[in-house]
Amino acid sequence: MADTPRRKISFPRYAEYNCAFRYIVEQALGAKYIMPPALTKRTMALGTKYSPDFVCTPFKTLLGSMIESLEAGADTLLMTHGLCRLGYYGELLEQILRDLGYEFDFINLSDYDMSKKKEYIKLVRRINPKVNPARFLAQFMEGVRMVEYLDEITAEYYQNCGFDATGGEYKRAYQDFLTAMYTARGRSDVEKGYRAARRALRAVPLNKPGRPLRVGIVGEFYTVMDPFSNLELERKLADMRVEIHRWMNVTHQFIHHGGQKNMHVKIQDLCAYEMGPTATANIWFARECAERRFDGLVHIKSASCTPEIDVMPVLQTISADYKIPVLYLTYDAQTSDVGLQTRLEAFYDMIDMRKKVL
Amino acid sequence: MLYFRYRTLWRAFFQELGMDTVTSAPTDREILERGTALAIDEACLSLKIYLGHVAALVGKCDYILVPRVSNFGWHRSMCTRFEAMPDLTWNVFRESGQKFLSYDVDELMKRKEKTAFLDLGQTLGCPAKEVRRAYKAARKAEALQYKARVQKQEQLYKKEGLKILIAAHSYVIEDQYIGRAVTDYLKEAGVVPLRADLVDRDGAIKRSRELSPTCKWEISREILGGIVQHRGDVDGIILLSAFPCGPDAMVNELITRRVKGIPMLNLVLDSQTGTAGVETRLESFIDIIRLKEGKL
Repeated sequence: MADTPRRKISFPRYAEYNCAFRYIVEQALGAKYIMPPALTKRTMALGTKYSPDFVCTPFKTLLGSMIESLEAGADTLLMTHGLCRLGYYGELLEQILRDLGYEFDFINLSDYDMSKKKEYIKLVRRINPKVNPARFLAQFMEGVRMVEYLDEITAEYYQNCGFDATGGEYKRAYQDFLTAMYTARGRSDVEKGYRAARRALRAVPLNKPGRPLRVGIVGEFYTVMDPFSNLELERKLADMRVEIHRWMNVTHQFIHHGGQKNMHVKIQDLCAYEMGPTATANIWFARECAERRFDGLVHIKSASCTPEIDVMPVLQTISADYKIPVLYLTYDAQTSDVGLQTRLEAFYDMIDMRKKVL
Repeated sequence: MLYFRYRTLWRAFFQELGMDTVTSAPTDREILERGTALAIDEACLSLKIYLGHVAALVGKCDYILVPRVSNFGWHRSMCTRFEAMPDLTWNVFRESGQKFLSYDVDELMKRKEKTAFLDLGQTLGCPAKEVRRAYKAARKAEALQYKARVQKQEQLYKKEGLKILIAAHSYVIEDQYIGRAVTDYLKEAGVVPLRADLVDRDGAIKRSRELSPTCKWEISREILGGIVQHRGDVDGIILLSAFPCGPDAMVNELITRRVKGIPMLNLVLDSQTGTAGVETRLESFIDIIRLKEGKL
């Protein structure tokens, strides 16, 4: 494709999923992927400065990350659609960036009615008119596979990393896995990296009691998964020798879970309808944790996240019915690291004491 | 929160079925305080008021109607709060023993308003035929009443004097305790307050695309469409929202970035009790418009 220069596409930072975005953009779409720099305080400062005041925090994070992508040389920005305010992010983000004077091509999935297959093909053709749909689909599925591996390994990692007996081997194995995913160029790289990670994680000796403290994490889609946004909550809690269980990730929510009808059956006594984009899954998992006698729950959301605020009364019901402590955390651009640490320590002391008494 | 939008429909529907309806009194300080105590701190002002109204009705009737209105199709959603409303309310009031009623409008899941009302009537033990008739009559009454209101509104645009368009959700602007102070003050100051959301809805929905192609909220789109239609007929625009309204936080930002060349005031109402702060801002806004037009 010498006649048209390759697009330089970027999508904002989102937990560790950018390795899969890169894989899909480069392998499946034949474009160049610009990796946005890791999220920092500067990202947040940029995002907060140009965002409306009481928009939810992920908007600010994404805006900051998009600015940094443009600085890094991206000429095309991709933005997703969504069921809550997320569905309107794209248009407003684009307007703010244009008002700031940036020049770029903006692909907003909210422009497309994603319930129709035709729209998907239109979208792919827009990014790269020369893509072969069949080949695209095959490569795309490999990217999806990468997401599945990533979620599987990450879930295993946070369940065990607090009990590493070697003082660092476990973490190193996880880091090696991430590096493998970020540098993968083909299917065999992905498969090899995954299998090596499984072996490496299993090989590390763990010092885990028979019945460790177990905490379930539920919450808003972005903040609950992105370690920068939740100030590494999972690591902080795991380091206190706690087993972390989080259901919410891209694999569970999107890939293995089209429609939440069957899940909803189990919580019909708590809510008759679907309350919001991630509400059913969160309520279901919270109940599941409570029934499996977990020691506590943490509910994470960004400031003014409407759907998750509305889930809270239901979580309070679960908390009262099953006598399970719930820590409610709200993140905004100013939430401090030390403040969180203090609250987590207090929460840990409480559930630890409770376990000894009960 | 949807009372101001659907009151005629609801009232007529239940009356047709031979039932009595009880409505809570207009919002006052006590209702807001009760609601605030019941709601999650971060919830919007309107939800706090809503829960206060529910609390005021508990024990006064057999059922309290809390509808779930999710969407009217693609890019025609309501704020997710309306989707969560029935379950949220049940969970907040679950110890009160009060019975609630609901109906579910979710056109993306193939649940139209008509089906929803049919189910609602049948849960109450009325025969399907009767319910169908009641719904039809109620719909008609609502359409007539709304048309009359829009016509009255259109007349106001022809009036002499300073005209200001207010872009707000009906449950903000029509609320006795929070929004009414704004329109009252404007009237007192000799200004004609107009409402962006009182327009021919279908037309407004179509024209909202001119201002914001991907806006997904039904009510916001009506307001956007109203602004597109009438921005030439007025002297200023007030963006009025309740703290911290999710859709408004984004849509109003977009409006201020895209609608240029007309004075605009972004006013956010919170649960403060005094109206002096709001009045000062309105007064200075009116002065600015008059100064600009050389009338001061």
